[in-house]
Amino acid sequence: MGTSDLLEPWPLTGGLSQASALPAVPRLELRHLSKSFGASRALDDVSIRVEPGEIHGLVGENGSGKSTLVKVLSGYHAPDPGGSLLVDGHPVGLPVRPAAARRFGLSVVHQDLGLIDSFSVAENMRVGLFQVRRFTRAIIWRQERQRARHALAELGADIDPEAPVGGLSSAERAEVAIARALQHHEAGRGLVMFDESTRALPPEPRRHFHSLLADVVARGGSVLLVSHQLEEVLEHTDRVTVLRDGRVVADGVRTSELSEHELIRLMLGRELSCGARTRRNASASAPALARVENLSGQLLREANLTIGAGEVVGVTGLLGSGFEELPYLLAGARTAATGTLSIGEQVLELSRPSIRPLLAAGVALVPERRDRDGLAFSETVLDNITLPRVRARSRGGLMRRDWQLREASHVIGELAVRPPDPRMLVGQLSGGNQQKVLLGKWLCSETQLLLLHEPTQGVDVGARRDIEEAIARVAERGSAVLLAGMDAGELAALCDRVIVMREGRIHGEVSGEITPERIIDAVYGAGIRESW
Amino acid sequence: MSALAEGGRGRAATSTVTKLAERFGIIGLWGVMIGVYSAVESSNFDTQGTFQTILSSQAALVFLSMAFLCTVIVGEFVDLSVAAILGLCATLIPVLTVFDHFNVALASVIAVAVGVSAGAINGLLIVFVGVNTIVVTLGMSTLLTGIALAIAHLGPVSGLSASFGKLALANVGGWPFGGLPVSFYYGIGLTLAFAYVLAFTPLGRHMQFVGANREVSRLAGVRVNAIRFGAFVAAGALCGIGAVVVSAGVGGFDPNSSVNYLLPTVSAVFLGTAVIRPGRFNPIGTFVSVYFLETGILGLEELNLAAWISDVFYGAALIVAVMLTTVLRRRAST
Repeated sequence: MGTSDLLEPWPLTGGLSQASALPAVPRLELRHLSKSFGASRALDDVSIRVEPGEIHGLVGENGSGKSTLVKVLSGYHAPDPGGSLLVDGHPVGLPVRPAAARRFGLSVVHQDLGLIDSFSVAENMRVGLFQVRRFTRAIIWRQERQRARHALAELGADIDPEAPVGGLSSAERAEVAIARALQHHEAGRGLVMFDESTRALPPEPRRHFHSLLADVVARGGSVLLVSHQLEEVLEHTDRVTVLRDGRVVADGVRTSELSEHELIRLMLGRELSCGARTRRNASASAPALARVENLSGQLLREANLTIGAGEVVGVTGLLGSGFEELPYLLAGARTAATGTLSIGEQVLELSRPSIRPLLAAGVALVPERRDRDGLAFSETVLDNITLPRVRARSRGGLMRRDWQLREASHVIGELAVRPPDPRMLVGQLSGGNQQKVLLGKWLCSETQLLLLHEPTQGVDVGARRDIEEAIARVAERGSAVLLAGMDAGELAALCDRVIVMREGRIHGEVSGEITPERIIDAVYGAGIRESW
Repeated sequence: MSALAEGGRGRAATSTVTKLAERFGIIGLWGVMIGVYSAVESSNFDTQGTFQTILSSQAALVFLSMAFLCTVIVGEFVDLSVAAILGLCATLIPVLTVFDHFNVALASVIAVAVGVSAGAINGLLIVFVGVNTIVVTLGMSTLLTGIALAIAHLGPVSGLSASFGKLALANVGGWPFGGLPVSFYYGIGLTLAFAYVLAFTPLGRHMQFVGANREVSRLAGVRVNAIRFGAFVAAGALCGIGAVVVSAGVGGFDPNSSVNYLLPTVSAVFLGTAVIRPGRFNPIGTFVSVYFLETGILGLEELNLAAWISDVFYGAALIVAVMLTTVLRRRAST
């Protein structure tokens, strides 16, 4: 098997004409691939065919094996013996070696983009490919920057190759990562895999991204698009493969023959129980439970808002508009320049670092980055869930097991965490289940104000429904909920009203009959009225 | 290929065996080692005296490795100053008592206070100023060793009274460990207390979370900086108390010897992650490792190998231990 790397370089003589003359050879063919972790099988006998010139979708719930498959294809995981991988009919050795994969024209854009913040755009794009002068072995930077600039221009991205990646917006970062993958792309061959790459892209660059996929395909390349956004998959892919529990349950079905409903049923293996949250009547004004006054941070300017008991208020806007800062300022995670938060009678000063009084007042934060701010991956589910309360609930300086087990099994039951084992390390769970644990941490507290930032990012429809239902129940029990995010569908499904921010200030509010279209209009639309 | 596939199929069945091996492998290896040494040198090794030597000589290392464990558990890599703090405190006691005619109890209190202060300075610089742990503690280590040499006039200081020596050497009578000095039981007590704090108290849970993820802990209301600072102070205090036990046991101290304690300490703590709770720093595993390593070294010495063998042994043990830690942690988290 190891000898396949020694195959002569790509036979370039063929080109487009030959490829079209031999349509029987798939661009990428994966046969009988399995991957086990200990006793559990993340991938079980998976076979996939991607034809030349097609955009192929790969969908599945969290934990269905999608990410594992991408990691096998990018050489991060070694698969179990027995499977094989062919690109244009040529066997590629398993485990995949990145350099060999690149020779065959395979490239990947990862979920986390794989960029190093402290390096420049050009360095990030060209690392591993640097051209050097013959005698000094020094990198020819002028040429590298030129190449990076060229690849970015292909994408229509106006980004300085010398800018450090750390200073870019998340949309620009995604563009850099995509441009890096596409720079290897040659007409008539190759396959680019995108693993949830469009998550951070606002609509305009996203449209551009989709037109770019069409370009790749028009030039004879193929695309494997891994996505949670079923709309995107249905609209922009030709065929779709669905994974469930590590197995292929739908093998290259034409998307023109599928409805979103059918696709969801394939992914879940069951019907999705339907029903958005019944919205409260906006005029039936609840008593204000949380009142934010004169709040300023790095982006936010003098914001004032109130949230009633049992009310779910959304905040959204473009990245950088300040909505994304609000939950962290209110939770004391970041120190505000000015501002107070009143919970009932209690007035809390936000311009001094004060997490403990805020926690004591019942403020809970579900941050966006669960790996950095939300969960300790090397600790167990049970320990993570009970952490905020171990001191308060200990008697005589002793943590007792009973309440901890009770809380953990409550969370596991209410949010359907899989596998339902409180002794699992959080790092061993799939992304969606980690997100459930992250929310579950605060379901056992006397939460007055629940602050959420993108609570269902990177989560499949099933887990998403579980999480959204749990959030709705928190509101039903009389807590105030603030939901910050860019997912218009989720905001429309959950919120009683949605506040739209621009340039650090509250710009408008969507209430009454909330639809994703109205939210998107309010965020991106030009002529915004003050209220609806 | 077929052999590989075979291995894949057998994996589930052997995983229980693997888990047991991970947990108790070192303890088993310890037994094997004792068996081999007893067979090879039955006249020397397999005697009550040998075991007494092993069990009674390691109190200093137990205190040091528990001190080291304090900071490693809250995520500080790595406190290189513990051995030097113990060395300075242990030098201070005979210097104050013998040279300056202090009461030995007062000298001991001063030594512990010096240990606490050294830990507090480490903590201030690392936690509140934000200096790199290795740099601060390496500097502190060299600085304190220098001071100890200065006050001891470069050589060993002895002359502590035998009654003070009883603090460490008094025999605890009766079955099963009759004939062992009380310092051995200090080590056991300290280890059990530490294990208790970690497993059953909110403080212990908070320490582990601070080690696992500081931001998560902070957002959950844990006083992260207080816990990190406290860990350095506790480490200093343990070094101070360990110094009292050591100087009492020896009747004095040689400041030149303190540097020899560092490598065994670090080795034992890392090797401890291969015992009881694989991939985790834990006090009981560390305690077992201290005696495991001492058994190995004593056996080699009784084979009449020269003194360099301890450097080779501890150095190799450290590398193996850190490798084990890395592998076990990786396995635990995937």
